[in-house]
Amino acid sequence: MSEASIERLKSKTTLKEILAVATEFERTARDFYTALAPKVQKNIRYLVQELAEEEQRHYDLFTQLAERTDLEQQLQVEVERPVSDHKFSDCIHLPDLGEQPDDQAVLQYALMREHAAMEQYHSLAQSTESGPIHDLFLFLANEETKHKNELEKVYYETVHSGGV
Amino acid sequence: MIRDVLSPFTAWKNLFREPVTIKDPLNERPGSARYRGFHQNDLDKCIGCGTCETICQNGAIDMLPVDGVPAKLGDSGLRPRIDYGRCCWCALCVDVCMTGSLTMSNEYKWIESDPDKYLYMPGVDKKHWDNAELGYRRHEERHLSPGDRVDMPELHAEERIGSFIEMVKGYDIAQAQLEADRCVSCGLCIASCPAHMAIPDYIKAVRNGDYERGVQLLYETNPFSQVCGRVCTHCCESACAARHEGDPIAIRWLKRHIIDQVPQERILQLIGKPAAPTGKKVAIVGAGPAGLTTAFDLARLGHAVTVFEAQAAGGGMTRYGIPEYRLPYDALDRDIAVITAMGVEIKYNHRVGTDISMQQLETDYDAVVLAIGLHQGRSTRIPGSDHPQVRKAVDLLRQITTGEKIDVPKSMVVIGGGNVAMDIARSMARLQMQQYGEIRVTLTALEDKAHFLADPVEVKESIEEQINILDSRGPQACVIDADGKLLGLKTWKVLSIFDEDRRFAPKYDPADEQIHEGKMIVEAIGQMADVSLLGDALTEKLEWNRGRIQIDPNGRTSEHWLWSAGDCVKGPDVINAVADGHRVATSIHCVLTQQEAKI
Amino acid sequence: MFELDRSQYPQKKPDGTLDIDLSSGKYLKLWQGPQHPGITGNMAIELTVCGDEVVEGKTHVGYLHRGFEKLMERRTFMQCFPIVCRICVPEPDFNEYCYAAAVEELAGLEVPEMANWIRTLILEMGRINSYLMYLGGQAGALGLGVIGQWTTYVRDLMLDRFEELTGARIYHMFILPGGVRDRLPEGFAGRMEKALQEIESTLGDVEKVMFHNAVFKKRTVGVGVIEAGWVDSYGITGPNARAAGVAKDVRKDQPYLVYPELDFELVTGKDSDIYARADVRRRDLLLSVDLIRQILAKMPKTGEVMAKLPNVLHWKIPRGETYVRGECSRGEYGYYLVTDGSGYPRRVNVRGPSYTHSIALFERMVINANISDVAALLVSLHTYPPEIER
Repeated sequence: MSEASIERLKSKTTLKEILAVATEFERTARDFYTALAPKVQKNIRYLVQELAEEEQRHYDLFTQLAERTDLEQQLQVEVERPVSDHKFSDCIHLPDLGEQPDDQAVLQYALMREHAAMEQYHSLAQSTESGPIHDLFLFLANEETKHKNELEKVYYETVHSGGV
Repeated sequence: MIRDVLSPFTAWKNLFREPVTIKDPLNERPGSARYRGFHQNDLDKCIGCGTCETICQNGAIDMLPVDGVPAKLGDSGLRPRIDYGRCCWCALCVDVCMTGSLTMSNEYKWIESDPDKYLYMPGVDKKHWDNAELGYRRHEERHLSPGDRVDMPELHAEERIGSFIEMVKGYDIAQAQLEADRCVSCGLCIASCPAHMAIPDYIKAVRNGDYERGVQLLYETNPFSQVCGRVCTHCCESACAARHEGDPIAIRWLKRHIIDQVPQERILQLIGKPAAPTGKKVAIVGAGPAGLTTAFDLARLGHAVTVFEAQAAGGGMTRYGIPEYRLPYDALDRDIAVITAMGVEIKYNHRVGTDISMQQLETDYDAVVLAIGLHQGRSTRIPGSDHPQVRKAVDLLRQITTGEKIDVPKSMVVIGGGNVAMDIARSMARLQMQQYGEIRVTLTALEDKAHFLADPVEVKESIEEQINILDSRGPQACVIDADGKLLGLKTWKVLSIFDEDRRFAPKYDPADEQIHEGKMIVEAIGQMADVSLLGDALTEKLEWNRGRIQIDPNGRTSEHWLWSAGDCVKGPDVINAVADGHRVATSIHCVLTQQEAKI
Repeated sequence: MFELDRSQYPQKKPDGTLDIDLSSGKYLKLWQGPQHPGITGNMAIELTVCGDEVVEGKTHVGYLHRGFEKLMERRTFMQCFPIVCRICVPEPDFNEYCYAAAVEELAGLEVPEMANWIRTLILEMGRINSYLMYLGGQAGALGLGVIGQWTTYVRDLMLDRFEELTGARIYHMFILPGGVRDRLPEGFAGRMEKALQEIESTLGDVEKVMFHNAVFKKRTVGVGVIEAGWVDSYGITGPNARAAGVAKDVRKDQPYLVYPELDFELVTGKDSDIYARADVRRRDLLLSVDLIRQILAKMPKTGEVMAKLPNVLHWKIPRGETYVRGECSRGEYGYYLVTDGSGYPRRVNVRGPSYTHSIALFERMVINANISDVAALLVSLHTYPPEIER
């Protein structure tokens, strides 16, 4: 059993850990999309590039958070590990989309990721007392939800088009 | 005699009467409830159709633009201005108003020192009678506005379900003239039509029985009148002024009526011979409406046009996507015959990318047009969707058209709520009827019935043809038994598809799970262009715009020799493809003649 | 009876024309109109007088020419509808009715029964208006100003009824080709009855003050006699003919609308002078009051008011011609309509009774009249200049 898996089995975790996982989540995603972009056909490259940009934005957000001194205290607070945690950290592992995934495959993967992130932050927000940390998770959940909604719209327009 | 002297003095009795005059008529004497006083116009209801202007025999009404009232589909953005120096208060404008927006208040006093003030726009120039409740209104029976649409004779469900015979019979002359009579010639439709067809004029030709004029008008803007007269998405009818209180004019059926009345040879005579050869060569990839419209226009301008078509016949999606009962192949053939008569050469069974490369076309021709349509079906990619009995609607429809043998399943499920889904469901229903004498087709759509993407008429006709339409069902998996046999489709109830911002965000109720039996599942959720023919190098060279080839407003791609038109760049629609074809042809002609001028 | 007392001027030349030498100093040219209290509206009379006796009268019209008949040739059939009423200002409804009926006949439209009842009602209301105006004018021409005040008051009551029924007081524009615009408003019959009672009571006063009046009688009895023999040769119709004892009335002679279902006797006179004509009109007015009561009692309560029309914006009417007539307050009113299959009338000709009465007949009657009677004579023919020149 890997170290990460053992970590995951613990029922309590600190916010610091959670943020670290989240930062890692966004970083791997960004790197994944950036690496994927040149491999896909040019006609769907825009999709992958946009995803990479979006993940970069999230990554920047988390790095800024980690550098904030005013949150230091709160970061040590222990919180209940959310149920969605398992699914969430799984996403850190890189998927195999094949050599040349098409737009639909990329979108499906991205949607799954965003959905996991959204659930994770939602349950974290629920398990924290109201205060700056609670607001932070709400904000993050909201960010991910917005992004997921955007992606779903793109998915509908891409896949469910031409059907009339 | 004495009586005649005295009798007149009885007039004196009036000395003791109260005066009969009204002391303050300006305030104490409102107009009656039906009084035809100053105009009122409900700006939100008004569509600027100008019918009031047309009927005004005094020329007192002018239609003018108004700040804050933009022109949009079905609304010219113009509003009536009335000249009270000319108005005679006959209220014909009110009686003929298509939306009932124009009314008259019971106010009749208006004092002004500047006579120009009496040129005024009701509803725009605020007046104290704007909200007057009394005054003249159009009669509820709408005496002067057009009546009901003439029903189109059609085959009944029982008659049509056993075969692919065209179900719409077409108007006869008397019916067409009655229908054409309803048109008020406002022209709102022209703006809405992608090809800007001269709709009021050709409807007038129907009224006058001048079908040859009608054909000339049709060919001015559209070489696909047989097709568009049958399967056009008719945006015109959703802009029609008559739709506000009743059915819009059956513009599509009238177009078909015109083309039905004139024999093919006469059509060729009417449109005349193409211009003298220019020596320029244009290659067009795809013989669909966009490609062939481009071909028609360019050939008429004298350019030598070669069309490369992968299939064995022309028409593109109109032939291989639209079932024969909606668009018979011979009608399509007649349209194509006119185009080839202009000298357009169509090379059938020539698949660009396989039989000839894009590079070759670039070298051999002065310009190349890519009009390849959307011929690849999308898949839901739910579990089990890779089973061989899970098919895509476009592929199956193409097989039906080419006459390939299809293993017709006794029962089947269609995924999708658009017109393609209806097309495949109804086509397969016909085949089932022919083979088994009964229909077992289930259609599941994400959308609820109120938000179906398919034409309401298509939905109605599908139900008549015993298609079992289930709305708000989200496909979850194709159910396959241990032997690998397809059993059916598992769906969940859709609680909502869109969020409050109208964004796609489906929410399911897993508790409401159903399995729809089917030995075949057909996915009809969407289509995409097969751009593999471009090759890697060209794909990389071209600029793209969100998955589609990037084009400028004239249809030209980032490569100077390549244009693209139709569904593959604009999304699926016949009349849009025709309009696109014209646009591209104009652009190419412009470029080719400029080159000429330089030399 | 005065005819014999009059001189035999002017004498006729052997070729039958009048022997008038204006340079002789014996004759004087006198213009009455176009601006003159003794003229009915926009026309003028050129009188040649010898002393106080008229030896020749010529009418001059054209002051009101608007070319309606020609205008209509460039307007669609529905667009003509707001024009026609303007051909006769005081009683416009006959134009609307005759035009509509002519169009309907040529277009083959069947007008709903309800519309026919309402049309008849409107025509009788219009007749009352017209007569009330006439009575005031006839009395006024002889200096009895108060009659005009009374009749104008009760006419206003009728205009109120017009306003609530049609939405306008003067140009009603209510009888469209195809039917009428709407049904009667709620409670209309009751308010109409009140107005009718007021009219009847006022007419009682008028009878006392105007008809039983020594001055009025002295000025009108025996003056301006129309001989019965002239009726056909001059095309005289309406009260002008009926006062001469000729029972001519289109309502009876060629019944239209719902007149066959109404119970009435023609009003006639026998003396054929100004007094007799005024009296026939007064009694005809009372007949109209009675007819309105009959109509309101007998008319259906529900029903369509318009026939199904084709789209009026491009309504074409097959080739044809027709003449439609009706009995207005001044006589026979008629529309001759020719269509050629296009969307416009090929020809519209309006036959207004004022044309024959105020030109041919008047020019005949004014000879040997006293200057002071000319105004009363012209008014007694009850003519409206707008319909002389369409």
